[in-house]
This record gives sequence, structure tokens and C-alpha cells, in this order.
Amino acid sequence: MKNRQFIVAGVCFALALLVPVIIQDDYTLQILFRVFLFAALGLAWNLVGGYAGQLSLGHAAYFGVGAYGLALFSKIGINPWISVILGVVLSVISATLIGAVSFRLRGPYFALCTIAFAEVLRLVTKNLPNVTGGDVGTQVPLLFAQASIRSFYISSVVLTVLAFAVTAWIERSKFGYYLMAIREDQDTALSVGINTARYKLWSLLISAAITAIGGALYASLFLFIVPDQVLPMEISTEIAIVAMLGGAGTLFGPIIGSVVLEIAAEIFKNIFKEAHLLIYGALIVVVVLFLPEGIIGSMANKLRLFKKAPAAAFAVPPPVSAEDEGQRAALSE
Amino acid sequence: MPLLEVKHVSKRFGGLKAINDVCFTVTPGQITFIVGPNGAGKTTLFNLITSVYHADSGEIRLGGEDITYLTPDRAAKLGIGRTFQIVKPLRNLTVLENVMLGAFLRTSSPGKAEQEATKVLRFLQMEKFLQLPARGIGLPMLKRLEIARALATQPKLILLDEVVAGLPTSEAVKLAMLLKRLPEWGISTIGGIEHVMHVVMKIADRVIVLDHGTLIAEGVPRDVVHRAEVIEAYLGSKYKELAL
Amino acid sequence: MGMALIFGVMRIVNFTHGAFLMLGMYATYVLFQTTGLNPYIGFIPAGLILFVIGYITYMALLRPIRGQVDFMVILLTMGLALIIIDSVQLIFGADYHQINIPLLSKNIRIGSQISLNAPWLVSFAIALILAIALYFLVTHTMFGRAARAIAQNPYPAPLMGINVNRVQALSFGIGSAAAGIAGGLLLPVFYLFPEVGNQFELKSFVMVVLGGMGSIQGAAIAGLVLGVIESLTSLYWGNEWALAVDFVIFILVLSLKPNGIFGSQRA
Repeated sequence: MKNRQFIVAGVCFALALLVPVIIQDDYTLQILFRVFLFAALGLAWNLVGGYAGQLSLGHAAYFGVGAYGLALFSKIGINPWISVILGVVLSVISATLIGAVSFRLRGPYFALCTIAFAEVLRLVTKNLPNVTGGDVGTQVPLLFAQASIRSFYISSVVLTVLAFAVTAWIERSKFGYYLMAIREDQDTALSVGINTARYKLWSLLISAAITAIGGALYASLFLFIVPDQVLPMEISTEIAIVAMLGGAGTLFGPIIGSVVLEIAAEIFKNIFKEAHLLIYGALIVVVVLFLPEGIIGSMANKLRLFKKAPAAAFAVPPPVSAEDEGQRAALSE
Repeated sequence: MPLLEVKHVSKRFGGLKAINDVCFTVTPGQITFIVGPNGAGKTTLFNLITSVYHADSGEIRLGGEDITYLTPDRAAKLGIGRTFQIVKPLRNLTVLENVMLGAFLRTSSPGKAEQEATKVLRFLQMEKFLQLPARGIGLPMLKRLEIARALATQPKLILLDEVVAGLPTSEAVKLAMLLKRLPEWGISTIGGIEHVMHVVMKIADRVIVLDHGTLIAEGVPRDVVHRAEVIEAYLGSKYKELAL
Repeated sequence: MGMALIFGVMRIVNFTHGAFLMLGMYATYVLFQTTGLNPYIGFIPAGLILFVIGYITYMALLRPIRGQVDFMVILLTMGLALIIIDSVQLIFGADYHQINIPLLSKNIRIGSQISLNAPWLVSFAIALILAIALYFLVTHTMFGRAARAIAQNPYPAPLMGINVNRVQALSFGIGSAAAGIAGGLLLPVFYLFPEVGNQFELKSFVMVVLGGMGSIQGAAIAGLVLGVIESLTSLYWGNEWALAVDFVIFILVLSLKPNGIFGSQRA
């Protein structure tokens, strides 16, 4: 990433932090909170989905674990912020389990498996009312001294900066190169000595950790959560779409994606009221059909502004494997 | 001490015995080529050596160490580099980045990896292509890219799977001459699979002939090519009398 | 449990790729159509309508992105599903509907313990017949062979004179029709509302993967097995645990035997 981009990013983030000074209106701040929250979530997802090319549709699991971690640990008397950390730890442990099983699968099976895990988590949460409050929900403590949307907004910006920094660092490191190699061709990656399983797992763990923090923030804002709010597939899809719309595998993609998507969604809700899901669905269809590389990806192709449009990997058909003599199951070898 | 030993290795896929009790060794400093008609199992052999597949029986040793049941990335770390018959460049990365991937095996620093990759690409006369995306560079360069990437991992033994196939003769010859210079690069031991016989004749020290998974001949190229079994394998028994 | 079988059996035609999350949505759509007509006849036109819809969808939307990563297909179909659900909701409202036919309350007793609901039986029977028909279609016709060939290896297929696009479009159409029929058959026993298909979507995937992609018998048997397990789980622990168990089985099978129990296809 060139230095110029760093400066641009820095300026934008600084401006973002100053926003609450200008805008006092709670409604707007809440929207902006959502924008930055999903930007952070999208960046986190991007590590696994964009750079490593493992398209997870079950990230709600980590989000939910973060949320419920905060809720449940503080219920037994632990300090809220420590509860957040515990939530993150729990989320990372889940990621280890989920990754161990899912990463062995290729293609749609991987995605389906991540969906399955998230759903199991959701259903289990719904059906253990004594522990989690089940469908009725559970209370979540306030993380900040005041119940002010401002604090939440600022935290979401901070989280985004964190996710951004992590992504930027990874992008220019050996880890990042390895992830991209895995995305492009796992067999080739193996042949140059890359332990694909290990790197995929690491990208997932980092992703899960950041997502969990996001979940905890979100939960604390609402002060009360139910399973279908923090663990449904809709959240998983939203996270993935944010990243893909903006450009999976790019540094700025998820941020742009979140800005566009969240603001558009809000506008749709107001204008179209009943039909907003329809428009949302239509947006997804349009993105897939016409913008598979996301906004940044398509721009990068036209303008050569950023270094590469790696998301084009998602539009290129895989070549026929010459190693197809033997039997290959859905397992990656 | 031999660098690579393949001892009584067999592999079957379902009902098909792809490799049948194959034995050979590769001595350091030698250039060995595996030839044979299509379907003889040559690529399977490479896959067995690099643990992409695991042998059903027999063992494979690298420098004395048993490498029969590893994983491909372990094999690479232990010093086996390979190219693929159907080139697999990482399309969305540049040529340089592709090769850096190989270099990263021996260093964690992107700077050093870039240096090493540049060196390798220079050796293969690809300086012009460094910053180009791997997608659009044409087959001859893609083949060299495969080799470059493998070279960057600083292997003890490099396995070249049909690197010359599909190239126009002029390109093939150029590449062959580059390959002959690999020892300058510190890699004196090369294993290759080839169909393009004139290349094999030019650069191989030793030739191994596979047919239907079985090793039917080995030796100096000049000799092997005239052996009856070899001619029969390629052309059928009618032509056996062509043997000297 | 009959429901599981019906849907499982109906789900399997799409064995070129399994990423279609919206067949359940087709079912919903159809259910609305057949509100006026006795569903045991109505499912036929429903199926036909859905066949057409499926075919068109494939040609217009799915074919262009054939080359892309499967994830994109999943996303696309999810988007499509959203569009359809919401449209339906706009047109018909979000209320629940239910139909009333004379057969609804008849029960058949077997022995002293088991009471089977008549509508279930009829639906089950029809589904079974159709499934068998489908099985023959896949195994004994040129179409079936072509479709299976493509599933095994799409690249050389055109060389053998197979019009890949048409076969896949047809498969998708048949699969959609199957979903539509399933919808019609389920109408007597389910409440009708725009999102009714959601509960079937993921389950249908589980069934297909369980039974093995490309194997109709597999999917059918998987559906049956799953249905039984579900019913038992529901009995003791409640509906949602049953769903969770479904997914757990899914995960277990994927990790231990990725080809499914009868699978012959690779991913």
C-alpha cells in the first residue's frame, strides 16, 4: 500500500472522529455507527473471504459469540470490558473448531458448512433459555459511563481503524502474500511450501476476534439481545456483501462497501418501507452479475489506481486440474 | 549418497495400477529425465515424490530421510521444488509476486523475498516481465514463471513437469539451454518429465522410461532410445526391429 | 416426516451444482397460485409454472455467472430469494393463510399406536411416484445421462455433443418444478406465508449433501432418515433442537464423509 493511501486513510479517520462535534443528532450518529461497525466487520471478513479466498457465510457466529460473551459473562459478575475480552477468546476458540472442520472443504461445501455452524449456534442459543435467556433475550451491560451514542460511534471508528491497520499490515507481509496464494490456487501454494491449513486458520482467528468485538459493541448499544438479532444468516450475509460490494481482497473495499450499503439500506427503508428487502435483494443480484469485483475492484481495473484488483479472482473460472487422475472428494489434500 | 531414492513404489487408483513397483535413484549433480508414452504415470510419480499422493507401498527417500507420507508443503520445505504440467500461475499477482511466494519459503521479509525473486527472474531472462500481472504473459514466459517460482524456494532437487511442452522449437531450445545452466544456481539435481525428445537428448545425463506405470529402461539417453522395449512402448511392437 | 421426504426427494434434480437456496421460495410462490384449486391437482400446473420460471432464471441469471466461484451463485440466489419473498409479501400481504379441504381432518389408524394424517399420506404417495419417475428420468434417458456427464466433468461435455447450457437449464427447470410441486403438495398441511420456504432451504441442502450429490436414491433416503431423526428429536426436545440436530449431522457428514453416504460425485 503506498504511502499516499495511508495519508488519505489517516485524514479520513481523523475527520471521522471529529464528526460527533459537528453532528449531534442521534439518528445520524446511529447510522454512522452502523456504517463503521460494518466497515470493521467487513474488513475482518475480508481477511478470510477476500485475501484468503475462503468465502464464509457464517460470520454471524463470531459476532453472536462476542455479543453473548459480553452479556453472559457480565451477568455472572465479571467486569464488562473483561467480558468483551472473554467473548473474543471464546470466539477465537469457536473459530478454531469451525475452521478445523470447514477448511477441509472446497467450493460451496465450505460456505454451507460455515452456514451450518452459525445456525447450530443460533439454534442452541435459542433453546437454552436458562443460560442465554433463549428467545426472550438477555440483558447486556453498558460499556461506557454514559448511554450516549457518541461513545459507541467513536468506538466503532476505533474498531475500524484497528481492522484497517491489521489488514494493511497483513497485506504487505509474508502472511498476506501467502493468503493470496491460497486464494488463487491451493495446490500451487502447497507446492511452494505453504501450509495452507495453518494460514487459513490464522486468518480466520484474527477475523473472528475482530468480529467478536464488533458483536459486543453492537450488543451493548441495544442493551438487550435475542439470538435472532445477533446470530441469524442475515448478519452473515450483510458482512459478506459489505466486503464484496466494496471489493473483496482490497484494503479499502469493505469500508466503501459499508458506506454504500448501509446508507443505501437506510434510504431504502425510508423510501420504500415495505419493499426495502426487495431492493436489497436486487442490489445483491446486481453486484453479483455486474460487479463481481466490487466497487474498488472494478475501478481499479479501469483506473489502475490501486495496485491490483485481486477480487478478480472471483470472476475467473478455475482451470481444469491436471491432477484429476485420482479420486478427489470435497476434501482438499 | 543418492539424493533421491524411489524404492518399490506402487500406487493404484481404483482398479488402475498407475505406478507399478518402480525403483530408481537420482544422484546429486545429475540431470535425470523421465520419459514414456502418455498415461505412463510420469506425473503421478512426481505427485508421489512430492506427497500430493501417497504411495500404496514402497518408500521414497530424500537424502536418506523418508518422505513417502508427508504433505506437499513439507516436501517443498525439505527441498523439493516442482513445476506443474498445466501451468498454474497466480493470475492476479504480478510475475514478481508469484516468484516471491517461492522465496518466502526461506525468508520472512518481503524485502528479501523481493530481492531473491528478482535475482531468479533475471537468471531466467524475464526482467521485462517483473511488474506485469501473471495473467497476460504468454505460454513461454508462464513456463519460465513456473520454474522461477520453484527455483526461488532454493530446492535441492527440482522436478520439472513437461516444461518444454507446447513451446515452439525456438523457445524450447532457449529454455533447454537455460536449464542446462541450473547448476550455476546451485541446483545440480534435476528431474524432468518430457515428451520433447530433442531437449531430453540435449541436456539429460540419464533417462528413465516408464510405460503403463512400470519402469522399462534406464540409462544414458543415447542407449535407452534405441532399446527394443522403449521403441515398442512408443510405437508398438511392429517397430521393434528398429532397435539396434 | 413425510415432509422431509417430499422435499428431499424433490430437491435432487439439480446435481450439476447444489447452490440454489431459493427452491423453497418457489414452493411458496406456487402455494399462492394453488390457493384456489385443489392442491392435489393444482400441484401440476404449479410445477409447470415453476419449471418455466426456473428455466428462464437459469438462462437469464445463472448462466452468465457459470464460470464464477460457487459463492457468487449462492449470493445471487439469496438475493433473488429476497426479491421474490418481498415481492410476494407486497402482493399478497404478510398474513397467514390456510386452505381447507375435506381430506384435511381424516386420519388413518395403523395399529393402536400410530395415527397417520391423511393429507400427509396422499402427498407422500404422490411424491414417491414422482420421485421414482425422476429416478428413471435420470438413469434411463439421454437427458439424464447428459446431465450426469456434465456433473462429472463439465469441460469435455460439449465435445460429446451435449448442449451444456440447455441441459443445465433443463435440470434447473426440473428442480424448480420439483420444488414447486413440493410446495403444492405441502399446501394442505402448512400455513402459508411469504417466508414459509425458509425452513426448507437449508434442510434441503443438508439432505442433498447427506445423500451425496448426484445420487437421487441417496437424497431420497437421506431425506427419509433425516425426517425420522427430526420427528424423534421434535418429540423429545422440540422443533428447534431438531433443526439443530440436522445441522450437526450435516457438519459431521461433511467432515467425515464429504461425498455423502451414497455419493459418487466430487464437489
